[in-house]
Amino acid sequence: MKKPDLSVEIAGLRLRSPVMPASGCFGFGREYANHYPLRLLGAVVTKAVTLKPRLGNPTPRVTETSAGMLNAIGLANPGVEHVVAHELPWLAKQDVPVIVNVAGETKDEYVEVVRIISQSGLAAAVELNVSCPNVKAGGITFGTDARILQDLVQTVRKVCTIPLFVKLSPNVTDIRQLALAAQAGGASGLTLINTMIGMQIDIQRRRPVLANKTGGLSGPAVKPVAVRMVYEVAKVVDIPVIGMGGICSGADAVEFIMAGASAVMVGTANFTNPRACPEITAEIEQFMIEQGINSIAEIRGCIA
Amino acid sequence: MKVTVMNTAQIARKTWQLTFTGSFPYGEVQPGQFVMIRIGSGTEHVLRRPISIAAVKEDRLTIVFRVVGKGTQWLSERKPGDGLDVLGPLGKGYPLPHTGAGVLIVGGGIGVPPLYLLAERVRPLVQQLDLALGFQTAADSFWIDQFASLGNLVPAADDGSFGKKGTVIDAIKLLSEGRSPKSRPWDYVYACGPLPMLKAVKQHFAGHKVQGYVSLEERMACGVGACCGCVCQTADRTAAKRICADGPVFDWNEVAL
Ligand SMILES: Cc1cc2nc3c(=O)[nH]c(=O)nc-3n(C[C@H](O)[C@H](O)[C@H](O)COP(=O)(O)OP(=O)(O)OC[C@H]3O[C@@H](n4cnc5c(N)ncnc54)[C@H](O)[C@@H]3O)c2cc1C
Ligand SMILES: Cc1cc2nc3c(=O)[nH]c(=O)nc-3n(C[C@H](O)[C@H](O)[C@H](O)COP(=O)(O)O)c2cc1C
Ligand code: FES
Repeated sequence: MKKPDLSVEIAGLRLRSPVMPASGCFGFGREYANHYPLRLLGAVVTKAVTLKPRLGNPTPRVTETSAGMLNAIGLANPGVEHVVAHELPWLAKQDVPVIVNVAGETKDEYVEVVRIISQSGLAAAVELNVSCPNVKAGGITFGTDARILQDLVQTVRKVCTIPLFVKLSPNVTDIRQLALAAQAGGASGLTLINTMIGMQIDIQRRRPVLANKTGGLSGPAVKPVAVRMVYEVAKVVDIPVIGMGGICSGADAVEFIMAGASAVMVGTANFTNPRACPEITAEIEQFMIEQGINSIAEIRGCIA
Repeated sequence: MKVTVMNTAQIARKTWQLTFTGSFPYGEVQPGQFVMIRIGSGTEHVLRRPISIAAVKEDRLTIVFRVVGKGTQWLSERKPGDGLDVLGPLGKGYPLPHTGAGVLIVGGGIGVPPLYLLAERVRPLVQQLDLALGFQTAADSFWIDQFASLGNLVPAADDGSFGKKGTVIDAIKLLSEGRSPKSRPWDYVYACGPLPMLKAVKQHFAGHKVQGYVSLEERMACGVGACCGCVCQTADRTAAKRICADGPVFDWNEVAL
């Protein structure tokens, strides 16, 4: 039997595989390049980049929960100037599309960072992080108010000459409203879900485990919620949807694709298994062979 | 890397040692480095647990850990022949002293294990090796004979149940007093233990001409430098260092303790 075609086309980007790492769970790729060649990925998605370097939140920043984890990294990153000078040139040599995750506290900051990334010529696409639950200013408010979101996407769109993905927060009443707002603003595609706000308490010490008190929940625990949200959003938008939230196996990834995702991102599973992304790709391929599926498009959104 | 448990043993209160064999780059291990161990299948426990490398011989590696939660409980229940999924060796270890240097090693509690491999590597390089190891009580102590065979050991217990009554600082003072005038002053101090202990040791040597190294600990997710979960700050508090990749061992003047 001929090998199934795992490549996908999303917003004009041709990806060799539908599997890519999720932002913040893969640094800028260097650490995982020791484990496998990055060209095995559909794309590399970077850690969030902001205008100025950010130290992030106090520690502890991470803790395990049942079948998941909480993080409150706080967008720690070396700033866009450093990223463009030192990280993107290296990534550009890895023979894989690079999607740069961008965060900001103000509209102007988003615009400035996106402009620099877009003009650098070193990125294939931008992912607008409007949904980080771990920073006080900006971030989350952009991701929870449909009017503000549409305005932000519209403004950023003007300086962005490459595909623009908008990453949606699950911490909203009706995610479809935000998805439609991003689409109306001119997003090329949507990525979802970011983490869900959670909290863990150390009952011996009578205080929250995380220094930030609350953090973002990710990992297998969130998967059913994420699948449902991808399903809901894919039904109402015309632009491609990239799904994530707790994906650990090829079977998990196929659930998202059947729910309507054109591709998937893998976050927390990289920590459990540094080779998670290529292994998940191989498992999807195996499933396609077993089921006689020729292309990802064949099963995408097959759930009515 | 998939390895196989050779044996486990309880060696002190809530404290276990576990030795594994199987494919692992044993030859690359530097003292102070650690491994990240997957707990169960990895679905219930998504984060690996960081544990220091205590000893390494040809094709086997030993860790020592205290049972404090679900992950270490699971580890203590492993039986000979069981498989383990470990990642490593990770991080940057202790830089070794120059030949003939005077060396003091200071450990507290569950910070003691990685100092065993360090002491083994330091021993052939130096004339005299001094060790100050602190435990809460005698029941918490382990590997005392092994450490004693490598150098001049003064153990300490908070409750006076063995060794010097008091902290490692009391043990260090005893070592200082007992030194013969001919012996070389300490050029290097290597420490691993709880943060208050590390601070106290650095404080004790303030103004002395010693090169100090400490091993830091923080909750980790990736363990390889990708997630920025495990950071500490540089001494001037202007930048972050990732404990898992830039450390866990740092020059004590380089980081904010
Ligand atoms: C570089 C390094 C080396 C270490 N070496 C040793 C060693 O040689 N022997 C030993 O007994 N312990 C060591 N520790 C501490 C050990 O990692 C924790 O005790 C262990 O992760 C607790 O897991 P648990 O599931 O039993 O506890 P739980 O409290 O149930 O753990 C829940 C979560 O908290 C994290 N966590 C809890 N306490 C700590 C801690 N003190 N440090 C880091 N993460 C923590 C766990 O990794 C896990 O994600 C080391 C830690 C680091 C960072
Ligand atoms: C440690 C950590 C850091 C993260 N950092 C970012 C980030 O910088 N930008 C972003 O858009 N999402 C970030 N996320 C969210 C993930 O990209 C992803 O949306 C989420 O974790 C759900 O996927 P998962 O369950 O596969 O991890 C982070 C998640 C984790 C666990
Ligand atoms: S644990 Fe991820 S950077 Fe250290």
